[in-house]
Amino acid sequence: MATRRFLRALCRHAAAGADLVSLRRHFGAVTSIRSRSIIRPAIEQEKSLRHRDLWLLSSRRFCSVKTPEDDDMEDEYEEGEGGGDVDEVSDGEMAAGSRPHKREYTPEEKEAEASEIGYKVIGPLERSDRVFKAYEPVFAVVQIGSHQFKLSNRDCIFTERLKFCEVNDKVILNKVLLLGSPAQTIVGRPIVPEASVHAVVEEHALDAKVIIFKKKRRKNYRRTKGHRQELTKLRITDIRGIEKPEIPITKEKPVKVALKQEKVAEAA
Amino acid sequence: MALRGVWQLQKLVVSYCNWGGSSRGIRAFMETELPAFQEKNPQLEIVPELIRGQHPHLKAFYKNKNQRVVCVKNMTPDDILLHATRLRNALGRKVVKLKTRAYSRAAGKGVLGFCFRRLGEK
Repeated sequence: MATRRFLRALCRHAAAGADLVSLRRHFGAVTSIRSRSIIRPAIEQEKSLRHRDLWLLSSRRFCSVKTPEDDDMEDEYEEGEGGGDVDEVSDGEMAAGSRPHKREYTPEEKEAEASEIGYKVIGPLERSDRVFKAYEPVFAVVQIGSHQFKLSNRDCIFTERLKFCEVNDKVILNKVLLLGSPAQTIVGRPIVPEASVHAVVEEHALDAKVIIFKKKRRKNYRRTKGHRQELTKLRITDIRGIEKPEIPITKEKPVKVALKQEKVAEAA
Repeated sequence: MALRGVWQLQKLVVSYCNWGGSSRGIRAFMETELPAFQEKNPQLEIVPELIRGQHPHLKAFYKNKNQRVVCVKNMTPDDILLHATRLRNALGRKVVKLKTRAYSRAAGKGVLGFCFRRLGEK
């Protein structure tokens, strides 16, 4: 064991670039007597060591701050020793200092990923945009990610968090499966090609907490985990690709007012 | 959060202590990230508040008179920025488990009905 430890220390120093003289000075009498016989096999052993072990031996860190690479390497090491559970930390509740490196997307990558999910970001909503119209009797069935919704004007939907858009952004939903109006129905195969649904991002929020409780009875096993899903709220502003009815739905109020006026006139 | 284009978060109070160790992160946040956050959100009123001897927190005041308080003790500036961004992105509504993911005015009305009628015509 002592020889092994000694060999490891030697390898470390040799890998760090120490020469024979400095090694002898460091290790004192032992190296002066059997320097050649120890160092040569040590160096040969070093060559036979795997790269990973060499890296671990040579780059000894004295700092308590770990880089993500260190974490990965140590996790791998612990698995081999029958190590315990690696804690899964969710996106929203990161421990301080253990945030993984954020992936940076190019604009093309962002567009490609967004179009796969089924949306496209146009830009921020301007004050001059009159996007919020009156209700129209037109509906569309739209797919976002793996979820489908039946939408009409002024609806609100909660989808999974859309990564590449901010609050108050205008968004186009491209995957339209069905369009319907009082006069017309358009069925897609599977998508209606030139149809689109316009929406505005209202909110990026977390859902209510769901507690995941696991228990095995009589086995002393109990786990509690909380989870909050990240959601995006979209407000639908327009449905395009179908003819909208020109005549709005007539309201009953004018008739009632006319009847009331007649009654008042008769009473008088 | 913006309801029909109107931002719902009116005021954000950044409470910190100038002595305690739990406020280290928020003090760094106020030096590094807070000016940029303030520039990105000119509609938001950000008020720093000194509460000596207490743990730091962020208080958000919304247009529907709701308040949300997030304790940011012992957090890094990045985490505090994330919480501040979440407060800005959210509504002041009470967080309730969603029963459906779509809220529609047309649900239950005859829009789908007359389309099916149309499909059934010869």
